[in-house]
Amino acid sequence: MSSDLVWLLTRKSNAFIVKKVPEGPIFSREHGNLLNLHSQKYSGIANEKACRIPASKMETANLYSQAIHIGQGPSSIQVVSRKTGSSLHAVRKAFVSSSIRSRSGPRRAAGVVAGFAKRGYRPDLRQAALARTSALILAQKEKKPAPPKKIRGKKAVEIKAALA
Amino acid sequence: MASRPTVSVQSTAGEASTSLPLPAVLTAPIRLDVVQQVHKSIAKNKRQAYAVNVKAGHQTSAESWGTGRAVARIPRVGGGGTHRSGQAAFGNMCRGGRMFAPTKTWRKWHVKVNQNQRRFAVVSALAASALPSLVLARGHRIEQINEVPLVVDSAIESYTKTKEAVALLKSLNAYPDVVKVSNSRKLRAGKGKLRNRRHRQRRGPLVVYNEDNGIVKAFRNIPGVELVSVKRLNLLQLAPGGHLGRFVIWTQGAFAALDEIFGTFDTPSLVKKDYILPTAKITNPDVTRLINSDEIQSVVRPANSKHQKRPWTQHKNPLRNKSVLFRLNPYAKVLRKQELGVYFNLLFVAL
Repeated sequence: MSSDLVWLLTRKSNAFIVKKVPEGPIFSREHGNLLNLHSQKYSGIANEKACRIPASKMETANLYSQAIHIGQGPSSIQVVSRKTGSSLHAVRKAFVSSSIRSRSGPRRAAGVVAGFAKRGYRPDLRQAALARTSALILAQKEKKPAPPKKIRGKKAVEIKAALA
Repeated sequence: MASRPTVSVQSTAGEASTSLPLPAVLTAPIRLDVVQQVHKSIAKNKRQAYAVNVKAGHQTSAESWGTGRAVARIPRVGGGGTHRSGQAAFGNMCRGGRMFAPTKTWRKWHVKVNQNQRRFAVVSALAASALPSLVLARGHRIEQINEVPLVVDSAIESYTKTKEAVALLKSLNAYPDVVKVSNSRKLRAGKGKLRNRRHRQRRGPLVVYNEDNGIVKAFRNIPGVELVSVKRLNLLQLAPGGHLGRFVIWTQGAFAALDEIFGTFDTPSLVKKDYILPTAKITNPDVTRLINSDEIQSVVRPANSKHQKRPWTQHKNPLRNKSVLFRLNPYAKVLRKQELGVYFNLLFVAL
């Protein structure tokens, strides 16, 4: 099946289109769309070789469970791609995932994602995939607790006096 | 042609057991425009006639007052003693008048669609239901099923209990689609609520069987699930709303019967007289593959050098722009210098 034809068939209407902004960009909720943008290049439906980076482990489990190994650790980044030579009609078994251990650090995740481009899976998606990965890494980072507020002015003087 | 692809048949436990060749219908051309057009017409064939009362707005003996009374010449209700007297009547612009072009029950409610077009649309919709991406794009939750088209052992045709049917859908991982339907059930907006269309919900899987040995009763109470015999395939069920890619669950018997019912690209159908499948206009719709093919690459001009013209260059007027002027006419520089010299001399003299 040609991905060009699938794109033409799903371009005008599909279940994932989001047209909320009047005159604005058309977004897409489909899985495997790196920028969530409704376009042929980034479409996860039309492109057989879409590069899928699920936002959370939950999403991976819901979408591709059993078929793939899900990485260890509380948070990690998964890269799901279509197996080369998998049948056109296969759904669950067509996908293979590699997950990046959370302990390995953010730069490793970026490296693994960039490796996709180097291996020629979808070189045109390199930038988008990296952007999504680093956004996910940023979101998964635990926030540092805010330092306690310094007490200034009159109150500080009072407290100092009370202590002394 | 390469060897025909096969589709595995899932056992009732959800494992692939045997396999069947892919019927030719499922590789037929997918024409969205044909499907939409035919669906639009066929969907009209279930309408019920409606009209306003023939007498509405005409149950008065109004007559026009004619000219000379300084009022419009519309018919007016005669008599006195009531507010109605003297009011305009009949016209569509009048309060209490009849509507414009009153609707009639003898409107043309049904639309005839040519048989070949109807068949084309069904065949297209079937072909679309065999592509995972199109089924996903319609919104069916099929991420976890093994294969599209999903073919199950014919044993399910003799299921009689809904409990068994639900267990089957779960083992096929098709149950998320039923859950989606359950969750989507909402109260309908408007008067439809009073007219036996109280709720709206999504469509779930369509189960296609060959022989009903209880399968219909087993499945029919599951939300969103519809059943149809393979001999009675219907566009309204295969492409609801004119949207391609219904999630279809086939029984093995139904799937095997497809080649007989629809025929193939060269053998006519056994059921539909002299019917062979429509062929696609191009054999390879993959544009990238076409562009990169030897046939095309061997005849295209070689690519131009990568030299790019500088953008936003504009023609500069040498009469105004000095540097362009001096490039075109180097002597202008000398002249200019002399002129300026004269000017300065004059300036000094004046001071």
